[in-house]
Amino acid sequence: METPLLSVQDLRVNFIGDNTVARAVDGVSFDIFPGETVCLVGESGCGKTVSALTILGLVPMPPGKVMGGKILFEGSNLLEQGEEEMQKIRGNRIAMVFQEPLTSLNPVFTIGDQIEEAIKVHEDIEPEILRQRSIQILKDVGIPSAETRLRDYPHQLSGGQRQRVLIAMALSCCPDLVIADEPTTALDVTIQAQILSLFESLQKNWSMSALYITHDLGVVANIADRVYVMYAGSIAEQGNTLQIFNEPRHPYTQGLLASLPSRSKRGKRLHSIPGAVPNPAHKPRGCPFHPRCQFTVESCRSRFPEVCDYGKGHLSRCPVLYEKQE
Amino acid sequence: MLSFIGRSIIQKIVTLFFVSVVSFLIIHLAPGKPSQIDPLNPKFTPEILERFRQEFHLDKPLYVQYLLFYKGLFTGETVSWKDNQSVLKKIWERFLNSLPLFIVGTILTWTLSFPVGIRSAIFRGGFYDRSATFISYLLISVPGFFVAYILIILVVTQLHVPVFGMETFGLQMASWPTKLMDRVWHLLLPSVLGATGGIAVLSRYVRSQMLEVEGQDYVRTAKAKGLPPDQVHYKHALRNALLPFVTMFGLILPGLIGGSVIIESIFAWPGMGRMAYEAILARDYPVILTVNFISAVLVLAGTFVSDLLYLVVDPRIRL
Ligand SMILES: Nc1ncnc2c1ncn2[C@@H]1O[C@H](COP(=O)(O)OP(=O)(O)OP(=O)(O)O)[C@@H](O)[C@H]1O
Ligand SMILES: [Mg+2]
Repeated sequence: METPLLSVQDLRVNFIGDNTVARAVDGVSFDIFPGETVCLVGESGCGKTVSALTILGLVPMPPGKVMGGKILFEGSNLLEQGEEEMQKIRGNRIAMVFQEPLTSLNPVFTIGDQIEEAIKVHEDIEPEILRQRSIQILKDVGIPSAETRLRDYPHQLSGGQRQRVLIAMALSCCPDLVIADEPTTALDVTIQAQILSLFESLQKNWSMSALYITHDLGVVANIADRVYVMYAGSIAEQGNTLQIFNEPRHPYTQGLLASLPSRSKRGKRLHSIPGAVPNPAHKPRGCPFHPRCQFTVESCRSRFPEVCDYGKGHLSRCPVLYEKQE
Repeated sequence: MLSFIGRSIIQKIVTLFFVSVVSFLIIHLAPGKPSQIDPLNPKFTPEILERFRQEFHLDKPLYVQYLLFYKGLFTGETVSWKDNQSVLKKIWERFLNSLPLFIVGTILTWTLSFPVGIRSAIFRGGFYDRSATFISYLLISVPGFFVAYILIILVVTQLHVPVFGMETFGLQMASWPTKLMDRVWHLLLPSVLGATGGIAVLSRYVRSQMLEVEGQDYVRTAKAKGLPPDQVHYKHALRNALLPFVTMFGLILPGLIGGSVIIESIFAWPGMGRMAYEAILARDYPVILTVNFISAVLVLAGTFVSDLLYLVVDPRIRL
């Protein structure tokens, strides 16, 4: 079997407050194979961003603290790398596009400066070639009149253009893996679709792996090879896109799918999962989903559910449904 | 750009006019009159008093007094009521005395606050940060004159250097290196003391600015690119953290006048602040009003400089 490019194993990250401990990431595991697009899906606050930031060592510490687990990138554990090794990996091998395009660019430097800087820090490169490359990459992400745009400041660009610049910056060193953290949530719908297809085509053309974080299952259906459904800091269900969409095996995934608007459900009221995501500082005992679940039995309240294997890489953490199936 | 400068200047002149009217009125509404300084003084006969009132136009209506006063100010004819010297000449002399104190103090404040504040922010919560915080709050909460006396006692008794005034009396015949060292010693203590409060406050402010900026998304982006910490802190964060200080930089100009009354009094330094203070005690209206007017000019000039600097450093502000 192929070895994964990135393998996150039982990752745990806490945020330590004055008198609370928030277990934001609580035993997350996932693999990303070369060339693959993996989606991490889950409601707001379930720990997606924190998982991604931990991979690059960007979680603010304190208050954050990695409590355990491994992040294997090409076999070496990123959690054990020193700051200088991590600098060589960030942007160069693993790049990230952030959730907030409006505030993620530095307002006092031109976008040319900011793109060139991303390349210069990893490569020895002539100034003239550097410029050409920045212009080319701005063209690649679909920014018209790239030559003059390089001299613009972020505030002179629209939100969609800024996200394009951030994608350009992330892809500028041809990383092996791009992490895109909900790159379209802050943008309006038509722009979202453009950015999404841009991202997908660039990533496929340059044969990069991608970890695409989103809470939008519609996006997942479009781009994912495999899907990880995350709930309250851990993975509830994983499988390839068909498995997840056609045979969801976790009540949470089923709930998410049922709340997806679709043509067949036209005119009917949209389903929504009752209740809300638990606060990571006060998670319920046992299965974190049990207070919102319609299948809850006694054991759900006391025991953290084990993984049930449906074969072909389709795993779910719901023994109740697994037993019903048999 | 030019229209901005033009508009700004006109606006500042209008403001200056209102300041001049208001300060003139306030001075005249304040209780007490210069012509009553000392009714017990036997030389102050009613005739002299009357002559005095006429000479300084105190018998005219207020708006005439106002016009006459500012006419005198701009033609340089205004004289102090106390010693009949030209006010502008008096102020100029005192200004030259205050200038070295101001320059050294400002340089000390600005060159020390920034490294201290930035380092505290980058290593927040560490030993350095906590010591800097402790010392700052100590210096902020202990009155300046108290620190001054402790320092004076230390320097005078341990190092045996004189510190009062601007130079040691009777050194006129000494060689120039001796004289120079004497001036430096006299300058050092008051400037350091004048700067300590400023350093304590400003370094706190720098720290909090820097902390705020370090938490911004674009700093995270800079780290995610793989930039080394120096570039992250000193290029991406610092450049943004400095923006608000551009405004403050313009506002240090007025400190030339009012910033140093206490220090100048403690060290018997013949500067502007003390002159203004003495003028107030003596109800020497021409001096008070002139100093007031000059401070207003300095404040407005300072804000004007800030506005211009902002144009240069913040690309979001374009006209
Ligand atoms: N710097 C921080 N300090 C304290 N708590 C934090 C910090 N960053 C994240 N958290 C907590 O960790 C939990 C997970 O946050 P995270 O940002 O990973 O959610 P998310 O899944 O990305 O949500 P969203 O879809 O809204 O982006 C949240 O409860 C949040 O309050
Ligand atoms: Mg997030």
